Amino acid sequence: MKQALICLALLVLYVSLMGPFTRYMQQKPYAEKLGYVAAPEVLQFVAADQAPMISAGLVFKVLVYFGTLVEMAQNKIYLPPDYPGMFKLIQGALRLDPYNMDSYYFSQAILTWDVGRVKEANALLEYGMKYRTWDWYLPLFAGFNYGYFLKDYENAAKYYKKASELSGADLYTRLAARYMYESGNTAYAISYLSVMVKSARNEAIKKSFVVRLAALQGIYQIEQALEQWKKTHSTLPDSVVHLQKEGYLSDIPLDPYGGDFYIDADGTVKTTSQMSYAGAESYKKQKAAESADKAQ
Amino acid sequence: MLFLLCMIKGLMRDRVLNGIFCITFLFLFIPSISTLSMRQVTALSITLSTSLVSFILFLIAAFIGGTLLWKDFDRRYIICLASLPINRSKYISGKFVGIAVFLLLVAVALGVCSCLVVYVTASLYPPDQPVVWANLLIFLGMDYLKYVFLVCFALLFSTFSTSFFLPVFGTISVFWLGSASQEAFDYIQTDGGARMPALAKLLVKAFYYVIPNFSAFDFKLAAIYGLPVAPSSVFMVLGYFTVYASLILGFTVIIFSRRELQ
Repeated sequence: MKQALICLALLVLYVSLMGPFTRYMQQKPYAEKLGYVAAPEVLQFVAADQAPMISAGLVFKVLVYFGTLVEMAQNKIYLPPDYPGMFKLIQGALRLDPYNMDSYYFSQAILTWDVGRVKEANALLEYGMKYRTWDWYLPLFAGFNYGYFLKDYENAAKYYKKASELSGADLYTRLAARYMYESGNTAYAISYLSVMVKSARNEAIKKSFVVRLAALQGIYQIEQALEQWKKTHSTLPDSVVHLQKEGYLSDIPLDPYGGDFYIDADGTVKTTSQMSYAGAESYKKQKAAESADKAQ
Repeated sequence: MLFLLCMIKGLMRDRVLNGIFCITFLFLFIPSISTLSMRQVTALSITLSTSLVSFILFLIAAFIGGTLLWKDFDRRYIICLASLPINRSKYISGKFVGIAVFLLLVAVALGVCSCLVVYVTASLYPPDQPVVWANLLIFLGMDYLKYVFLVCFALLFSTFSTSFFLPVFGTISVFWLGSASQEAFDYIQTDGGARMPALAKLLVKAFYYVIPNFSAFDFKLAAIYGLPVAPSSVFMVLGYFTVYASLILGFTVIIFSRRELQ
């Protein structure tokens, strides 16, 4: 009887502790959640015969972390992502299992657009091509990175050719040629992202693609209007609003990141958000500080 | 044959084994967990299935294989056995064959579970590359041999130990070291390894040739990604297993024959 009472008391204590414990775990800093992971060399030694499983676990850890950040950003809570931590985990995962496609896919999705570490992403893709010799996605990604981000059209063509050979269709070669030389970079990126959105299975990654695609579509719409403007004017319009007032643009597209589109002095269309939630926030803070200074 | 059947029957009643078998329920969750993958759902289901198979076989080899002789010592069965006209080498060989057959039955059952899981996942989420079932079978066969090999060490440690600590933890240590020895050996061949002191390199080399190489039995990546498997690599591992396992069993029989059982 006494033992049963003790057990009951412990059970009550446990149930009452679960509430604060769950809250504590939810509020735990996200950088802490990503946690410390040993160097890839050490992981290789300790993994024994479970290396592919540990590799999958590391990728899953990064995905959960990234998914949480995307959800928070959509709820207007912005936390600086721990990109070096994510990159380290992905590198560890690839050391354990160099065939792990999820790692390459995630690196391509995040390292290039969000972090701007295109060269590192390409190094990973080239490393992956040594192992996944049948996979046309890796040369496709590398080709896009070389063409769109690095403007290295020679290497882009080389990798697109490889993707075409592996996939058995010259679709990518044709796509690259058509969009890069006829339509320009934005249309090319829209085409690429549209394919990526359709094939994305992970919700967090898909959301990040969809938002970026919407931003690029906005830029493309303004670019098209600007092209029309240039046909009849020798100077650039004052602003995007000016384009709309003159009837070249029906509506001003909204930047899904929360920034404002503008026409740069060199005639390119840009956004104050720099296509990231953090960029939009930073711009707003900067503007607010400038307004406060002027008021003083 | 009767000894074998009695032994397998005894193993089936082992409570530790019942606990280990509970883990097999994890197979049911693999198809749903695999959907978390972004680009390789079927590959992830093979990763999880093969890892689970390896883990269960490892637990049986270390915890059942490691306590096989110790239980007979602990319950004094061995003293009754000493009075019977049974050769000690036959007793040890019988124990080895018994657990090897038992491991085979478990490996076959786990293999069937794995194939079912992979088949279901591949049907729901067709992979870019088709599943190479032959590779999965090669993996299962080689994984089975790996853990039979590990049991040889468990039996060897049991012959000169009076408790289960050395057989169980010694087996776990040998497994871990044997899985990492190839990595250490490969490292000393690299530029980083070349800067190591000569004595350290010599030790790593000596260690590599003495410690069993469990990584040779690892065909997981070939099973997961359908990589080509050269028949020569399979035969090489089979030869390695036959020679090394026979050697360890020989030592086991010699030590056990000289052991004082009273």
